[in-house]
Order: sequence, then C-alpha cells, then structure tokens
Amino acid sequence: MSSAADNYKSLPVTVEKPIPVTYDLGNLTVFDSNVLDKNELDSSNAKREENLRNITRDNVQLLINQILSLPIRNTTDSVGGSNSQSATMTLVQLPDPSSELPREKPLPKPKAPTKWEQFAAKKGIRPKERAGKMVYDEEAGEWVPKWGYKGANKKLDDQWLVEVDDNVKNTENELIDPRTLSRAERKKLVKKNELQHKRNLRQR
Amino acid sequence: MIRTVKPKNARAKRALEKKEAKLVENVKQALFIPGQTCNKLLHDAMVDLSALKKPDMKRFSKKNDVHPFEDASRLEFFSEKNDCSLMVLGTHSKKRRNNLTFVRTFGYKIYDMIELQIAENYKLLSEFKKQTFAVGLKPMFTFQGAAFDTHPVYKQVKSLFLDFFRGAQTELQDVAGLQHVIAVTIQGDFQDGEALPNVLFRVYKLKTYRSDQGGRKLPRVELEEIGPRFDFKIGRIHTPSPEMVKEAHKRAKQLETKTVKNVERDSMGDKLGRIHVGKQDLSKMQTRKLKGLKSKYDQNSVNSETEDYVNDNEEHLRSVDESYGEDFVTATDIEAEPPTKRQKK
Repeated sequence: MSSAADNYKSLPVTVEKPIPVTYDLGNLTVFDSNVLDKNELDSSNAKREENLRNITRDNVQLLINQILSLPIRNTTDSVGGSNSQSATMTLVQLPDPSSELPREKPLPKPKAPTKWEQFAAKKGIRPKERAGKMVYDEEAGEWVPKWGYKGANKKLDDQWLVEVDDNVKNTENELIDPRTLSRAERKKLVKKNELQHKRNLRQR
Repeated sequence: MIRTVKPKNARAKRALEKKEAKLVENVKQALFIPGQTCNKLLHDAMVDLSALKKPDMKRFSKKNDVHPFEDASRLEFFSEKNDCSLMVLGTHSKKRRNNLTFVRTFGYKIYDMIELQIAENYKLLSEFKKQTFAVGLKPMFTFQGAAFDTHPVYKQVKSLFLDFFRGAQTELQDVAGLQHVIAVTIQGDFQDGEALPNVLFRVYKLKTYRSDQGGRKLPRVELEEIGPRFDFKIGRIHTPSPEMVKEAHKRAKQLETKTVKNVERDSMGDKLGRIHVGKQDLSKMQTRKLKGLKSKYDQNSVNSETEDYVNDNEEHLRSVDESYGEDFVTATDIEAEPPTKRQKK
C-alpha cells in the first residue's frame, strides 16, 4: 500500500489545458470546452473508459485545486448533537453559483393590501409610534397595563362611587350601573374589532 | 388542478405553506415514474438515479400510462400533487428503446423535456464494487465538451443535470464532503448537420493522495468509477417558451446584495473603510515659529489687515515666544496649559 502511495507522490498536481477551463464554484462545477477525440470515446474503443476517466481526472484535479484555494474556515462545532466528541471540520467558503438555472416556482407575489391599508395609504395615515403596553398610574404611583388584567381601562370597575356620564343622562340607560355600562362598551369594541379582522381576512 | 380549500388545522396550513412559492427555494424534488411500457432495465436505472438524488426524491412503484409529448397534463398533475419539479419517466418501445424522459416543471407547468435513451453500453450500480457514495452529499460536476456552451440541446442537458443533482445550495462546504463527481461528457466533437453524439454519464469517487509537488495543501486526485454508467442517446426535445424562460430566471429584488460604498476587504480579510475629509486649509498651518516668519513682517505692505486678524489669545502667545526665544509650540500645548504655568517652568 505504501508503495502505491509513493507512486502518487511524484505525480503532478497541476494540469495544462489548451483552452483554460471555466468554473462555477458555487455548484462545484467545472466546464471543459477542449476538443474531445471522437475515436477515443467511441464505444468500439477498448480503452474508452480509461480515456474518459483520464479526462475527468484532469478536470477534477483542476476543480479541487480551485476549491482548496478558496477561503477556508475551521470549526470545532460538534456536528452530531448526540455524541459529545467534537470533530474539527474544514469548511470552504463557496461563492454564489454563477450558472443560471430556472426557479421551481414563480417569485412569491406580494400580499394584497387590506381594506384598512388601502384606506390608510389614501389618507396618509402612518402607524402611530408604539409607546408600549404599560402606562404610569399617578394615583397608585406604579406602572399598570393599558388593558388586560388590572388594566387602566378598567379603572371604573372597582370604584365605590361613579359619576353618571352626561351623555347617559335623561336616557333609558340612566338607571343602569355606570360600571356595567363601561364594561359593555369595552366588550362592544372587542366585537367590532373582531368583525373588522374577519372582514380583512376574507379579502385576501 | 387540485382543489385547494382553506386549511382547517395548523398541520394542513403548514403543509400548504411549505408548498407555496418561496423567495429562497428549497431543493428541487425529483419524482421517478415508471411508464406503461417500463421494463426491468429502466426500473433499475431509475433506482440508481434516485439513489444519487436521495433524499430529495419520490419513486412511484405502479406503472402510469403517460405520453408526455402528446399530453403532459398528467405529469403536471403529478408535479403539483407531489410538489416535485423534476420528473423522470421510463418508457420503452421499438422506436425509442429504454427511454428516460427528463421533465422539469416551473410552477407546476412543463418547463422543458428531453428524451435520453439508454444505449447498449450501460453498467448499473449493483455491478460495480460495493463501495459507493454517501447519501445526501453534494456532488461535484464536470461537463466535458465544447457543445455544452454552444449547442442549445447540450445546453439544456447541462442545465438539466446540474439542476437535477446539485442538491442544496450552501455557502460553506465541508472538504470531507467532496467525495464523488458526476462527469457528463459529449462523445466526441461534431459538425452541424451530423447526428447528435451521445451523452456519457459517469460517476466517480474521489481518492486523494499526498503529493510532493502540491505540498500540504494540494493533493493528487485519482478517480474510481462507482457507477451508475449510462450512455444517453438524445431523443425528442421540448424547449420552454421565451416568456417562461424569462419568468423562471427572474431574480428576487430583495435578495440582491446592495453594494456598500467605500468599504473594502483586503487580502488578509481586514475591513477597510475610506472616508472623505474636507480640503485642508494649508495657509493656516502652524509651522516652525521664528521671529522673521511673523505675519507682521510679511512682504506685502498691507499690514493693517493682518494685524486685525491676530486676536488677543495669539498676542499673548507672542509674548511667551519672545521670552523663550526659539521654541516648538504645538497647538495642543497652547490649549492645554494656561500661559502662567508655562512661565513658572
């Protein structure tokens, strides 16, 4: 075995070609446009496979030389998650493929704007800057969420005394507890928003 | 067309999303279909080709009566149903012996088709030694023959084989993963008007030896054939329409990298930036201080203007200068230390 390895030691690692080959290193590909002899590759030729292998060998040698001259990165990341031993991997950084190949599917189309997005674009409404969910409650002296559990919009609910709103005065709602009224108001808003969301989904 | 309904559960939704057109595409899946007249050889050939394409492939076991050049709608259906854009159909007839039709689709519509007939000189994977390629490794390719760049048919063959077997697009390639090479060769050069020569499909395994000439870095490469081995005779061809080609080669604008101005990397991999500073005003530069160089001794007789220019601060400096005679004073010195301190020194 060692003698065989010794034989290869003296062999060259460079190849001379009349027409230089071209590469697409992103696809690990070499294109050789040199003249191919018809007789050498004819199926009646006994040495056909040998000739073919020699041509290919030269090209692969050129390709390997080219690949190994690319920037190399060594990593010691363990590849398999299960085994704890980490092996060093030698990675070559490939350039982008240069051969143009057809896509599998057309480019994804941009999503159609929702009714609100159309309206906002027409009116020039931009999304308001998000200040976050929390607001400062001056009376309590702490940060509370704007909505949700212990939200600031539920302030009325646990007051012992609530003023009757001017809008409600002299209507049929006058005698209803203002706390339940404010709760009903909130629920109505949630419902309205859900309806709009559904409508937008249907438009897509 | 396959009836698509709105997904009712998350799994169905995910499955549909997987099928959708993507900006960065997945590896093209291949589908191997035995035709109605498929024979043992074609079956074995398809098994071997699918072994090269693993794991991105599906193989049908039942025969299907498909005639792609007459009516391709069934293939389009298969493509959509299985989400495969590469298909290989095996058919055999007296006129077209051992025929493999390689089909590519674009958006579930036929993109191009080419018939490659297996000529007599073939050798299957099982007839080679047991040593073979590992599953899922990215192969290397060599395309040998000038016609791959010039002749439209061979261009299509080249594009097809590259598309078919290249696997995932990676930025980083493990050197140990460079194990096998797919060699596609044209059987000799040819003139216009002659019959198209066969395409020789070979797969070799790489063997590398340390060489004295290459040093530590470059090895001597030797090849060993591991199969399968096919000589393909070219049959009928279907080429895509120009509009479809244009559509299929569109590049996403979002993926194009913006060129960053004034930032470069040198050969060592260091980042270099170039910035632009305004033009320097050399007339105000502080040079060596000498009595004779003072602006009041300037040759141009209009002294009054230059005298105006000198402000209080500089007048103070002048007094310091006189006490010390010739001295180097830089701008930072003047600003940092109050003049009284200097005099104490």
